[in-house]
Amino acid sequence: MLAMRGIHHICIAGAMATGLALGHPAWATGTLAGTLIQNSAIVTFNIGAGTITQRSNTNVVKVDQVIGVAVTPLVTASVPVGASPATLTYQVTNTGNGADSFDLTGAPSVAGNAFTTTLQTVAIDSNGNGIYDAGVDTVITNGAASQVIAPDATIKVFLIVAAPASATDGQTSQVRLTATSATGSGTPGTLFAGKGVGGVDALVGLSGGTGNALETVQASVAQVALTKSATIVDPYGGGTAVSGSVVTYSIVAHTSGSGTAAGLTVTDAFPTGTTYQPGTMTLNGTGLTDAADADAGTASATGITVLLGNVAGGSADKTVTFQVKIN
Amino acid sequence: MTMINFKGMLKIGVVSLAALCVSAPALAANDPLTLVSKQLLDKVTTVDGKVTHQIVDPSVTHDKVVPGSHIVVVLEYHNNLAQPISNFEYKDPLPAPLMLSDDSAGEFDVSVDGGKTFGKLSNLVVTDAKGATRAAEAGDVTTVKLVIPQIAPGASGKIEFHATVR
Repeated sequence: MLAMRGIHHICIAGAMATGLALGHPAWATGTLAGTLIQNSAIVTFNIGAGTITQRSNTNVVKVDQVIGVAVTPLVTASVPVGASPATLTYQVTNTGNGADSFDLTGAPSVAGNAFTTTLQTVAIDSNGNGIYDAGVDTVITNGAASQVIAPDATIKVFLIVAAPASATDGQTSQVRLTATSATGSGTPGTLFAGKGVGGVDALVGLSGGTGNALETVQASVAQVALTKSATIVDPYGGGTAVSGSVVTYSIVAHTSGSGTAAGLTVTDAFPTGTTYQPGTMTLNGTGLTDAADADAGTASATGITVLLGNVAGGSADKTVTFQVKIN
Repeated sequence: MTMINFKGMLKIGVVSLAALCVSAPALAANDPLTLVSKQLLDKVTTVDGKVTHQIVDPSVTHDKVVPGSHIVVVLEYHNNLAQPISNFEYKDPLPAPLMLSDDSAGEFDVSVDGGKTFGKLSNLVVTDAKGATRAAEAGDVTTVKLVIPQIAPGASGKIEFHATVR
């Protein structure tokens, strides 16, 4: 009996040290895939006057991998798109209990869109600052896999989209980002044997191994309306179009919308059978020289060009005038 | 037995049991008790809205154990001796991934301090890093304990509690 007590005492001491070494990690997303749950019981009892401690076998159960992913929009207000593309930011979270990578697919075609954007760039926020930094953040091919993401960890993904010329001011369009587990996806409960971390089995979780989110862009564009009118003064003081009559053309550029007309240029060709009257070009009543120089206007042998630059929607109308004489 | 024989047994015993502690089940033939620890899976299936529970041994059925799985921790015991065993005190230091169920927490004496002190869960408190205290919850339990006053010669029994994989 004495010997037995000694034996078991030593055994328990060793096992307890092992138990302590396991520690108590934080189980944020649940017990990590591949974890071994090791359980054994300790019993102490009396036989007559002697006290004996005995330990059961250690039963081991391995935790398999659950595949999970969530995509959330980080921008909830509409992002303006127009002259410049829009950058949309999404967050992808590995909600599974094992490291996984996710195929990232941006899709500009969403039912109900007033217009369809063009997907220019898919990028992963390498430096984690939430802002797309060209040349710093990792640009990937649409549909390609992310880096491996630890359980409960997140990445930010940028979709950069441009509006088509057909988009009119105020129209909206949604853009979807879908993240799908590279380990496997499908009906929850689908088994991918041996595909988990370290070769454990992987099961598709409630997310189906895929997640997506929508963000919205709103067209912020400028519409420019040009109105051309003519005034004729004939050599006799009347308004008849005869040889020698002088025609004053007036072109009014009216810019509307919430966006900006970038690099707006007004060009007009001289009508056949007329001759431009040098030095008659004006912009908003101020004379412009004909030469291609510092001012906005240039008159060539065939027509005039006036650079109006970036004109915000709703700003004052721009009026260009010039004169020709009927041959 | 002489004293010399005893020493010999002790030496051999220590070596073999030390090895058993880290690998195979400790089922020495001459143990007073046979102790078999199992972790079974409470497999929940829902078909047409009807929920059925099936207790399976995942090491046999290869059912998957994942976070949220319900585990039934079982200890089967058998008194191998021709005499009674008294004051049988069972302790199971919960593996960290397992969280004791509320129902089981009510059936056992439990510890929330790694087995230093035991009591009914409703009487226990836990202290956080800032020194604030709160009532202990089933999730705080680190060890479960049960005392059986006497196990008759040749008698068998089973102790089980329910837990969830964190």
